[in-house]
Amino acid sequence: MTVSLIDTPGSTGSARSSETLIEVRGLRVEYGIERPVRAVDGVDLDIRAGEIVGLAGESGCGKTTVANAILQVLRPPGHIVGGSIRFRGQEIAGLDEESLRKFRWRNVSMVFQSAMNALNPVLRVGAQFVDMMQAHERISKKDALKRAGDLLEIVGIDRRRVDSYPHQLSGGMRQRVIIAMALALEPELVIMDEPTTALDVVIQREILQQIQDLQRERGFAVLFITHDLSLLMEVADRIAIMYAGEAVELSAASELRTNPQHPYTVGLIESFPPLTGPRMRLTGIPGTPPDLGEPQVGCRFKARCPYHDPNDAKLYDRQNTERPVLREIAPAHFVACHRVEAGT
Amino acid sequence: MRWLLRRIVFYIFAIWVAATLVFLLPRLMPGDPIGGVLQHITPAQIQANPGIIQTYEALLGGGKGTLWQDYLRYLHRITHFDFGISTSNYPAPVSDVIGRTLPYSIILVGISFFFAFVIGTTVGMIAAWRRGKTLDTVVVPALMSLGAFPAFFIALLAVYFLGLRLGWFPIQHAYDTGLTPSFSWPFISSSVRHAELPALVILAAYTGGWVLNMRTVMINTIGEDYVQVGFAKGLKDRRVMTSYAGRNAILPPLNGFAAQFATAVGGVVVIEFVFSYPGAGLTLQQAVLGNDYPLSQALLLVLALCVIGANFIMDILNLILDPRVRAS
Amino acid sequence: MKKLHVPSWVTLLLRNSKSRLGLGILLGILLLAAIGPYFAAKDPNAFSLLDARQAPSWHHLFGTTDQGSDIFAQVSVGARRSLLLGIAAATLATGVATIVGVLAAYAGGIVDDALNSLINIFLVLPPIPLLVVVSGFLKSRGLWTMVLALGLVLWAFEARILRSQALSLRNRDFVNAAKASGEPTRRIIFGELMPNMTSRIAAAWVLVFYISLLTDAGLEFLGLGQLDKPSWGVTLYWAQTNSAVLQGEWWSFVFPGAAIALTVIGLVLLLSGIDEVSNPRLRAEKTRHSFFARMRYALMGGRVAPHAEAS
Repeated sequence: MTVSLIDTPGSTGSARSSETLIEVRGLRVEYGIERPVRAVDGVDLDIRAGEIVGLAGESGCGKTTVANAILQVLRPPGHIVGGSIRFRGQEIAGLDEESLRKFRWRNVSMVFQSAMNALNPVLRVGAQFVDMMQAHERISKKDALKRAGDLLEIVGIDRRRVDSYPHQLSGGMRQRVIIAMALALEPELVIMDEPTTALDVVIQREILQQIQDLQRERGFAVLFITHDLSLLMEVADRIAIMYAGEAVELSAASELRTNPQHPYTVGLIESFPPLTGPRMRLTGIPGTPPDLGEPQVGCRFKARCPYHDPNDAKLYDRQNTERPVLREIAPAHFVACHRVEAGT
Repeated sequence: MRWLLRRIVFYIFAIWVAATLVFLLPRLMPGDPIGGVLQHITPAQIQANPGIIQTYEALLGGGKGTLWQDYLRYLHRITHFDFGISTSNYPAPVSDVIGRTLPYSIILVGISFFFAFVIGTTVGMIAAWRRGKTLDTVVVPALMSLGAFPAFFIALLAVYFLGLRLGWFPIQHAYDTGLTPSFSWPFISSSVRHAELPALVILAAYTGGWVLNMRTVMINTIGEDYVQVGFAKGLKDRRVMTSYAGRNAILPPLNGFAAQFATAVGGVVVIEFVFSYPGAGLTLQQAVLGNDYPLSQALLLVLALCVIGANFIMDILNLILDPRVRAS
Repeated sequence: MKKLHVPSWVTLLLRNSKSRLGLGILLGILLLAAIGPYFAAKDPNAFSLLDARQAPSWHHLFGTTDQGSDIFAQVSVGARRSLLLGIAAATLATGVATIVGVLAAYAGGIVDDALNSLINIFLVLPPIPLLVVVSGFLKSRGLWTMVLALGLVLWAFEARILRSQALSLRNRDFVNAAKASGEPTRRIIFGELMPNMTSRIAAAWVLVFYISLLTDAGLEFLGLGQLDKPSWGVTLYWAQTNSAVLQGEWWSFVFPGAAIALTVIGLVLLLSGIDEVSNPRLRAEKTRHSFFARMRYALMGGRVAPHAEAS
């Protein structure tokens, strides 16, 4: 079943096969060696062709780490210590350097958080497209620049901007350039890590709209990473919620909106006021996430969970000693929660 | 562009300050330099140098004019490159002496200091990229230890071991005695031979500093987002190292080059002394010891001009390499 | 909004291997300066032609000069002078640099422009040629004159660095917060700004120390020092002038030169230690020491992430 990555065709419009592009199983990532912090502790995730998967959670929950792990661009001292990541059935983690290099950007690309720093300040915009294209295919500089101009136009930027330097562009323009770059080699999956967080609200809307239009046109899959759950509910097909390095809930977006199960998910949803509808009391989630430098026992959310109550002895014990595992509690709806599992 | 203009204005101002400082220096010194000098002039010297007392008075004060008059006359003279007559090289005018010796220094320092920068930053860049590998753990500490030794100590060791004991290099002067400066091959090859050891000493003394500087900046640059993006784009390792990390990391050291140049100019004075290499540095030392004030002061001004010149060249390079500077 | 606590980086410094080595070397030199002259039991200036040009022996640990003076005595007495000079010049230059740098950064506006121009002008004047000429004019070239001259010439380099650091700190939130809550300027400067600059000021002090050492030695070597007082540079000057080098008398320059070099190396190591402590990214990551870590790497086939070999 192993298909050579280099020959994988680019995604085309309507191919909405339910083919699995990315299969993450039991991913474990640590930072540092002497006293490692396990930022990701056993995450499973599937991304199918053409779908938009949202990955939500608060800062530090490990979502960016998962994204970096898929592309194998973890910042040192981060390293994968367990689990597997497969692209179309082929294991990424063990790839030799050259295959990895070819896989990057061509099959899976990434829109980085804060485009401010994602562009090389001393190279022109065009040059940053050209070197990427020339690293993957035989193409002349002239042709590459032309394609770069085309891509810029697609995201709504004047093609003459290929000659600009990053500092000459506004924040919103830079983000669009990053998106254009991510699409340049027609990848099958684009990972978007907080693509709009650093922008003002008006631009945010525009960019989001653009992303959705492009996705509809070209049919690539998206892994959309953000802390803004309400955003995901609008945009994503399926959503995964991460907390303290684990995936705690996974379901279709519509299902999540109407029937969130994990207490953390519920807490998240209730933290966002809806734009319309009756006024309601906002509840936050008291407490802070656990320190992942320390070994974790039992459920990681227990300290902040409203259902962690010594009066319910059996559940309480289980929460303290046994780690919850993702279980399918409804069709295509997975939750890692002892209480939900017990069928309350 | 505006930035460059501001720099040029600053340099003109700096030149003026340097010239004024050189003029004022003898008059600011405690004690009475003119008196001290006049005490030591022998009748024989006066006979050989008829204008010597006036020359000294014009330079050090104590003559007939007021401070302001002397100053204006001084400014007028130096804008015409008239620095007076060298008292230790009578009757040669100071500008002649400088013209004879400065080129040697410029070639020696210009080339070797420049190479120290290029080699040092390259090693620093690669060492930071491949941390913990051989280059970083062996070569870098070695170069840095070498650089911690004072330049003239290295010079002395070099003269002793490489020159005297092993006889690999000539150790004195700029060319073999018996030859005269010309564009002939024997002269040029001899000059090159004689410059080799001083150049090596400069390289040994200064490369380590650049390695350290570049390595530090490079390590910080490697942590930048665009470097991570470079890898994610599937670029080759070398390209990310040079075009992404390296080209950004070199900017601070480049800015530091100009400041370091002033130190290098100082270092070359001592190195030339050790090798009896007839450059501007050795000439300065001999002028000062010989109380040849016209020459020593003029040299100080010229050396300051060289540093300003190097600063200017570096500013232009900065303009070329850093597009953000071009924008302002 | 973190503030550096002075004690913590000082202890880190003592634990850092580079600075420990540097401090060890400096301690050795200090010992030489303190006790050496008593061991030498000879006047460093005393000369006797009978003992001239002797190689190192038990009688003369470092050999003798052309005039028969004991080099060990010269080096150990010279150590006192050098250390005193370095400390004084470093303190003077760093003091001036800190005042100018912080003042310029905090006052801003015209004051900053003026001080900045002053700094830049000083930076283009090459220090050694300037000092050479100045020495030529000075009748007395005693220790304190040199300290003054060095301090006045060397302050600019560090002033620039300290000013830029003060500037970046000044614009940070915790300073603005202090201002907004009405803290008096003096308290802001001494209570908020300066504590965050201590490591840089310490680094500046060490840097000026060894640069003034080198510069002073260089000037004496050129013959512009006090030729009758024993010091490292002067010993080297005599070695050069009496052609000791060319005559193969290596001890006449190796020992004083090594003394200078060792002191400088000690200071440079100390400086590296300070740099590493204040910038954690420079610290080497201790890796692959534990068996399990090595096993993990082996199991992953050595392939983890680009340049995340974390060496």
